[in-house]
Amino acid sequence: MNLRLHIWRQSGPDAQGMLKTYDVQNVSEHMSFLEMLDVLNEDLLTKGEIPVAFDHDCREGICGTCGMVINGRPHGPLVRTTACQLHMRTFKDGDEIYIEPWRARAFPVMRDLIVDRGSFDRIIQKGGFVSVNTGNAQDGNAIPISKKDADRAMDAAACIGCGACVAACPNSSAMLFTAAKVGHLGSLPQGQTERSTRAMNMVLQMDAEGFGACTNHYECEAACPKGISAEFIAQMNKDFVASAFGGRD
Amino acid sequence: MKAFGEIWRSNIFQKWLMALTGLLLVGFLLGHLSGNLLVFLGKEDINSYAHGLRTMGHGMVIWIVRLGLLSMFVLHVTAAITLSRRNRAARPQSYAKVTPRKSTVASRTMLYSGLLLLSYVLYHLAHFTWGAVHAGNYAGQIGWEYTLADGTLVPDVYRMVVASFQVPLIAVLYVLSMVMVGLHLNHAIASAFQTMGVTNQRLVPLIRRIGPALSFIVAAGFSAVPLAILAGVVK
Ligand code: HEM
Ligand code: SF4
Ligand code: FES
Repeated sequence: MNLRLHIWRQSGPDAQGMLKTYDVQNVSEHMSFLEMLDVLNEDLLTKGEIPVAFDHDCREGICGTCGMVINGRPHGPLVRTTACQLHMRTFKDGDEIYIEPWRARAFPVMRDLIVDRGSFDRIIQKGGFVSVNTGNAQDGNAIPISKKDADRAMDAAACIGCGACVAACPNSSAMLFTAAKVGHLGSLPQGQTERSTRAMNMVLQMDAEGFGACTNHYECEAACPKGISAEFIAQMNKDFVASAFGGRD
Repeated sequence: MKAFGEIWRSNIFQKWLMALTGLLLVGFLLGHLSGNLLVFLGKEDINSYAHGLRTMGHGMVIWIVRLGLLSMFVLHVTAAITLSRRNRAARPQSYAKVTPRKSTVASRTMLYSGLLLLSYVLYHLAHFTWGAVHAGNYAGQIGWEYTLADGTLVPDVYRMVVASFQVPLIAVLYVLSMVMVGLHLNHAIASAFQTMGVTNQRLVPLIRRIGPALSFIVAAGFSAVPLAILAGVVK
């Protein structure tokens, strides 16, 4: 199939960017979206032009490195699918496709489709951890955890930190990401040591990074490739006031 | 220990303030609505009800309620404006193409429906409370007294309402404003419970259905009075 792509090109963090139009020919429907971009880049290189920079690593939907807004939707039109797992059979011959980077003040564009997600790392550093004893490994079943709690923690832990929730949110809010981390650790006995301060510390860091506030549009959970539920956001809202009035931060 | 000021300024705390004040305002609206519907029972009912409100607790209660409403409004609106500005600043460069999935017209226009609501409230107060606009229909004017069944002389609120809404422009303005209220609450009511951390999976689907339904009842209930008067059903 033949496609017309409108891709955001920006040569560096402070450079002025713009959408540029490219035509790609003979795209196979079996290619992944990133492979299609690889083909475009080969083409650009042979013509002596600068290839389109985009992030990727595992290309199997588990690392959270890839990410671009495809036709107005982070990771593209499919639900629960990362850009690397999106295949060209989703598109048809003659389609026009807009490809843009995540847009958020806290995710500055480094180049073309690559953004700096260091703000997520700084949020994690504020509370995305648990205290454990070092030394011998504990007996596997020493801590009883109900199946329901284990499942809930697992649901939240599925977050791969891609940032699609921020990209989808009209307010560039990082509530879903942060709530997934707070909800994951808060659901488990091992996470209780820091429970009373975790939400507080991570949320204040999120604000400091310049992410917006949640207005409950639920665009995040619809865009999340891992289907993280906005229920975790409600849980974090509760944990936050609990910290505010009962925490020992 | 974090200072309370830092917590107060945080996005989530501001959201809580907006949700709490918003829900209290919704509670006020429901009370206000049930009072308004007395128009359908007749002159005596609404006039004695209005008189009762003004004189309850030697006229103290109405001032306490007014003060409460004013502070809720101030908190709600300042939080709304603060957060909306932050949200705008959080995305300096917008997308060339956006394809929403779950947000609604109501959720995307909360600031605008809110600001229109604010201007409506000022107009509404100027009309019925202060008699500053449409003064010819003001209940407080000389000659418009009504004698209650117990002989008390009170302002004729019923006449003020009927005379006002017989003017098509006024009735239409009110009905349009109630559509605005409906739009704001369509998103707001369920949203507030999410903000306040309701996660129970039996409650959440219920709330997301009751919110929009309640917003429709509020908008339709308030609109019924001007519409009935304009149609000549109530006169
Ligand atoms: C009778 C008057 C009003 C009532 C009953 C009301 C009610 C509510 C409620 C219940 C919420 C939900 C809070 C949450 O999501 O946590 C809300 C949100 C909001 N309100 Fe109001 N409100 C009123 C007036 C106003 C006014 C005058 C403004 C003017 C700026 C305003 C602006 C907003 C905004 C921007 C939001 C945030 C939207 C969101 O987070 O989804 N509201 N309102
Ligand atoms: S919550 Fe979902 S969309 Fe957000 S960072 Fe995690 S995996 Fe990506
Ligand atoms: S490249 Fe790892 S999730 Fe897409």
